[in-house]
Amino acid sequence: MTAVTDLAAAASRAPAQSAFRVLVVDDDPDMTRFLCLLLGNEGMAVETASDGESAMRSIVASPPEMVLLDVLLPGRGGFEICARLKSDPATALIPVILITALEDRESRVRGIKAGADDFLSKPVRREELLARVQTLRRLHETRRELEARRLAAEVQRKEAIRKAFSRYVSPRLAERIIGSLGSEDAPFREPAQRTDVVVLFADLRGFTSITESIEVHHVVHMLNEYFAVLTEAAYQHEGTIFNMAGDSLLVGFNVPLPQPDAAERALRAAIDMIARFAPVAAAWRRRHGIATGVGIGMCLGEAIIGNVGSPHYMSYTVVGDPVNTAARLTAMAQADEVLVSGTLFDALRSLVSGRRVEPRGDVALRGKSEPVPVYAIRL
Amino acid sequence: MNDAAYHVKVDKGLADLIPTFMSNRKKELEALRAALAAADFEQLRQLGHRMRGVGNSYGFDRVSDIGRSIEEGAKSGDKASLEQQIAHYGEYLSRVQIAYE
Repeated sequence: MTAVTDLAAAASRAPAQSAFRVLVVDDDPDMTRFLCLLLGNEGMAVETASDGESAMRSIVASPPEMVLLDVLLPGRGGFEICARLKSDPATALIPVILITALEDRESRVRGIKAGADDFLSKPVRREELLARVQTLRRLHETRRELEARRLAAEVQRKEAIRKAFSRYVSPRLAERIIGSLGSEDAPFREPAQRTDVVVLFADLRGFTSITESIEVHHVVHMLNEYFAVLTEAAYQHEGTIFNMAGDSLLVGFNVPLPQPDAAERALRAAIDMIARFAPVAAAWRRRHGIATGVGIGMCLGEAIIGNVGSPHYMSYTVVGDPVNTAARLTAMAQADEVLVSGTLFDALRSLVSGRRVEPRGDVALRGKSEPVPVYAIRL
Repeated sequence: MNDAAYHVKVDKGLADLIPTFMSNRKKELEALRAALAAADFEQLRQLGHRMRGVGNSYGFDRVSDIGRSIEEGAKSGDKASLEQQIAHYGEYLSRVQIAYE
């Protein structure tokens, strides 16, 4: 690539940095200087290349806003360069004007096939050159502005979705979901489906005494503290929060995106919840003289996942036997205890060594026809 | 051929480019003569094509006309016509007079 000719540079009166940048590709130095002068006089920043190879290098290094391309060039010809620019998404939007001989219809047809945006005939007439360049420039700038607006709107939309999602799923999971928006298999777009889920139910032991003995505004503040630490633990391990009611929290793993280590994530989340809540419980004990703790029930099984509700109100919901079982186990769990169904415990067996594990035998749970093997895990 | 000058009117906005343009035409004439002596028709065709494109853009229509004739003569291998056109080009360049307007 050669620098802008002295004459053209002088004529352009040192175009501002934001000047419209045009690359002129022509192996004839007189034609190059001629085009530089005319475009420079219009305040455009003109760069030049005298062959196909240097033109491609220049475009890749610093994409111009328009290319004036002679058809006949040493090395790669104008058609090849044009076709390459138009086939690459990074350069496809750069307008290309092919310079051809007036009577050369064949070149024009080849140029159209190569994706040229316009043609300029030799002899090049000043008025025609400027009219074509300015028209394409306006088109290009309008297209660029629309693209910028579209991108800004897209960013804004995704940010709004991210904020909304981040209240229900972990921030990392929210990012993955947003990243897959628009694809056919994006989470939350599918109809309800059956899938294996690890359900974690957490409940505050001693909540009744809190509501009976402590002033309402304190209760709300305490619940916020409680849910804050449990939510952090759930998100830390990328669980999806399905429901928060009273003092109970329902979290699912392996949904809406598959998690091959869902059982392990659930166990770590449960242990994390108990550990994170311990200092909160200690503070409550000091402040209010009450004993509290988190009771957790967990179950693995097939459940129905999907958006449930009416056209006016929808909820991303998990329903099915593992939810009921986890709820029953939670009701049985003592403070700082995790009760796990037998199926889930089998998946966790190698992970709980070193912890206090207590088999509770087969337990009859309300609503279950068969007793369920239950294991208690403590920190 | 007579001794009359060839008058060309050129946009005054191009005035700064003309000295180099004319200098390049003279180099071009030498290249044409060398190519003709070597019977390098491909080189003659390329030079003719270039003359055709650049001449009338600057306002030198005759340069384009001669270029077209040279390009066609090179394509058909018509050495006599090429000799005539190149001689004519030399004569033109020696007599051309430029007026800026």
